[in-house]
Amino acid sequence: MTVTTIAPRRAAALVPGLAVLGAVLAVVAFLSVTQGSRDIGLSEVLRALGGLGDDGSTNSTVTLELRVPRTLLGILVGAALGVAGAVLQGVTRNPLADAGIMGVNSGAAVFVVFAITVLGVRGAGVYVWFAFAGAIAALVLVYAVASLGREGATPIKLALAGAAVTAGLGSMTTGIVMTNVDALNELRFWQVGSLAGRYAPILTGVAPFLIAGLVASLAFGRSLNGLALGEDVARGLGQRVGLTRAAAFGVVAVLAGASTAACGPIVFVGLVVPHVARFLCGPDYRWILPYSMLLAPIVLLVADVVGRLVVTPDELQVGVVLGLLGAPVFVGIVRFGRMSEA
Amino acid sequence: MRAWRTAVAVSVLSVALAGCGSGDTPGTSSGQSAAPAGPWTFTDGSGQVVKADKTPTRIIAHAGEAAALMSFGIKPVGIYADESVKTDPNLKNLDLTGIEILGEEWGKIDVEKAASLRPDLIVADWWPAEKAHSGLEEGVDEKSKKLAELAPVAGATQGKSILELANGYETLAKSLGAKVDDPKFAANKTRFDASVATFKQAVAAKPGLTVLAMSPADDKIYVANPEYAPELLDLQSFGLKVMNPDSPDKAFPYWENLSWENSDKYQPDLILWDGRAFKPDSNAEWGKKQPTWFKIKAAKENAVVAWPAYWMHTYGDFATELDKLTTAVKSANENIGS
Repeated sequence: MTVTTIAPRRAAALVPGLAVLGAVLAVVAFLSVTQGSRDIGLSEVLRALGGLGDDGSTNSTVTLELRVPRTLLGILVGAALGVAGAVLQGVTRNPLADAGIMGVNSGAAVFVVFAITVLGVRGAGVYVWFAFAGAIAALVLVYAVASLGREGATPIKLALAGAAVTAGLGSMTTGIVMTNVDALNELRFWQVGSLAGRYAPILTGVAPFLIAGLVASLAFGRSLNGLALGEDVARGLGQRVGLTRAAAFGVVAVLAGASTAACGPIVFVGLVVPHVARFLCGPDYRWILPYSMLLAPIVLLVADVVGRLVVTPDELQVGVVLGLLGAPVFVGIVRFGRMSEA
Repeated sequence: MRAWRTAVAVSVLSVALAGCGSGDTPGTSSGQSAAPAGPWTFTDGSGQVVKADKTPTRIIAHAGEAAALMSFGIKPVGIYADESVKTDPNLKNLDLTGIEILGEEWGKIDVEKAASLRPDLIVADWWPAEKAHSGLEEGVDEKSKKLAELAPVAGATQGKSILELANGYETLAKSLGAKVDDPKFAANKTRFDASVATFKQAVAAKPGLTVLAMSPADDKIYVANPEYAPELLDLQSFGLKVMNPDSPDKAFPYWENLSWENSDKYQPDLILWDGRAFKPDSNAEWGKKQPTWFKIKAAKENAVVAWPAYWMHTYGDFATELDKLTTAVKSANENIGS
C-alpha cells in the first residue's frame, strides 16, 4: 500500500498541467526580458539576445546585463521560495509556515549588520555570503532549539522557536542599527525584497545552491505525504521522522538562505503559492512540490514586471508589489478557497 | 476648568525643571562678553517675532546652526546633531570642548540634559515645507519635542538659499551681541565673496556646461531636484546650469528616482555627486558594480565632483566648497553630455 493514492484521471490532468505552467513561465520570462522601466523596442531586445554580445549600446547592456540576470534570478529565487514554503508547511504541518517565520530573514539581516559594523566589509557582493550564512545559522538555531526535549522538533515547538529566534535576532539588528547610521543605510538594500540592482555576479554566486536545493527538494514528496498523516502513522509506515525533518530543514535552509541573501526578504510567495498548488492538485506532495516550483516564479516575475512598469522611470520593489497584491489574494484564498491543512 | 488644571500642571513642571538646574553656575560658557542687556527680539524664519527680556546667553543649537553661531564667536552651551559630531560636516573641524552634546542621531535629543543647561534660547533652522524647526519636525521622538518648552526657538529659514541662511545667522549673531564686522569674523564673508566671483567667472567661461546633482544607490539612482536643494539654487543663481529633473517623486519631491535601466535619462557634462557618500574612488567603484553607470557619459569620462548636499550654514564652508566646484568647472569639458 502506498501512503497516498491518486486517481489515475487526476494524474492524467496534472502532467499536462505542469506543461501548461512551464509554458506560462516561459511567456512571463519573455515579458520580463522585453518589458521594463526603460522603453526598448522588441526588435532591439531580440537583436541583443540574438547577437549575445553587448554591442555597447545602453539598450543592449540593459537587456543583457540587467534584465537577463534579473529574470533568471527571479525564476530561481521564485522557485526556491515556493518549494521552501511547501516543504516547510509539510514538515511543520503548519499551513502558515514560511521561511520568514523560521527566522531566515532576521538571521540574514543580523549577519549583514555584523559584517558592516564589526568586520567593516562593504558591497552587495560580499553581503550575500553573510546573509546566506546568517539565514542558515538562524534556521539551524531554530531547529536546534525546537529539538530540545524528548519528542524532538515537533511542529508547535518549531513555530515557537522560530518566533523566538526571529524576535531575538530582530532586536539585535535593531539595537545595532540604532547606534550605527552607516549600517542602517547599507541594510536598507535588504529591508525590502527586490530583484533590482542584482547582476550576474550575484546570480552566478547563488545559482548552484538554488539549483542543487531545488533538485534535492523533489525527493521529499513521499516522505512529506507520510508526515501529513501524523508522526505516529508516518513512523508506523517505517519512516524515520527525525531524519526526514532534519534533511528537509537542510534543504529549506539552502533554498531560503540563498534566496534571501540574493534578494532580501520576499514575502507571500513562499506562504501563498503552496496553497494554490494544493488547491490545484490536492494533498499529494509529489505534485505540490513541482507545481509550487513553477507557480512561484510565475507569481514573482509577474509582480516584478508590474513593479517595473507602473512608476517609470522609477521602479517599485517586487517585495512591495507582492505585499500589495498578495494580501488580498491570500485573504481570498482563506475566505473562499478550501484551504486544506498542510 | 480642564485647561486651567493643565496650566497649573505646566507651571509646576517648569518650576520643577528650573529647580533641577539650580545647582549650576550662572552662564559663563557662552563666548560673547558684551551681550547687550536687552530686551531682545529676533524675527524667526517662520515670520514670528521672538522676544526675551534679556539677551539670551545660554544657547542650545542644532549642528549646522551651532557652527554658524560659532563662526561669529558665539559658543552655545549645548549642541544636538543628526549624526556623530565627529562626522557631521558642519562640526567635524570645530573645537567643541565645553559644549554638551545632547544628541547624535536625527530625532533624538536628551531633553533632560538640555534642561539642566538652563538654556534661554534654542537655535534651529525653520523648515517652511514642514512648518517646524530642526529637531522638532514630524517624526522625531515625542520626547525630543519637549526641547521647545525649555526656551524660545529661533532660526533662519531653510529652503531657497544657503546665502540667505548664512545671512540670517549673521543677523541672529549680531542681535546676540557678536561683533560681526570684526575682521576675524568678517574674513569668511570676504573670502566667500571672492569665491563667488571666481566661480561666476569660471562658469561664464563655459556657457554650454550643464551639471546634474545625483546620488546613486544600489537599487536606483536619485537625481536631485534643485527646487529643494538650497545650495543648488544658489549655484543656479551664480549662473551654473544645474539641470532640473522633469518628474520628481510626488511624495518626496527632493529627488527624481531613476531605475538603473534609465541611468542615461539625463546627460550632463559634469556630475555633482552627493557629498555625503562621495569618495575619490567612488566613480570607478560604481562603474564597476553598476553596468549602466558609465552609460552616463560624464561618469565614463570621470567628470564628477562632490556636491555639498543639504548641510552648509556658513559663508566659510560655502566658500571652501565653491572653490572645489570652481576647480571642477574649470577642468570640465562642456561637450561631454551633448
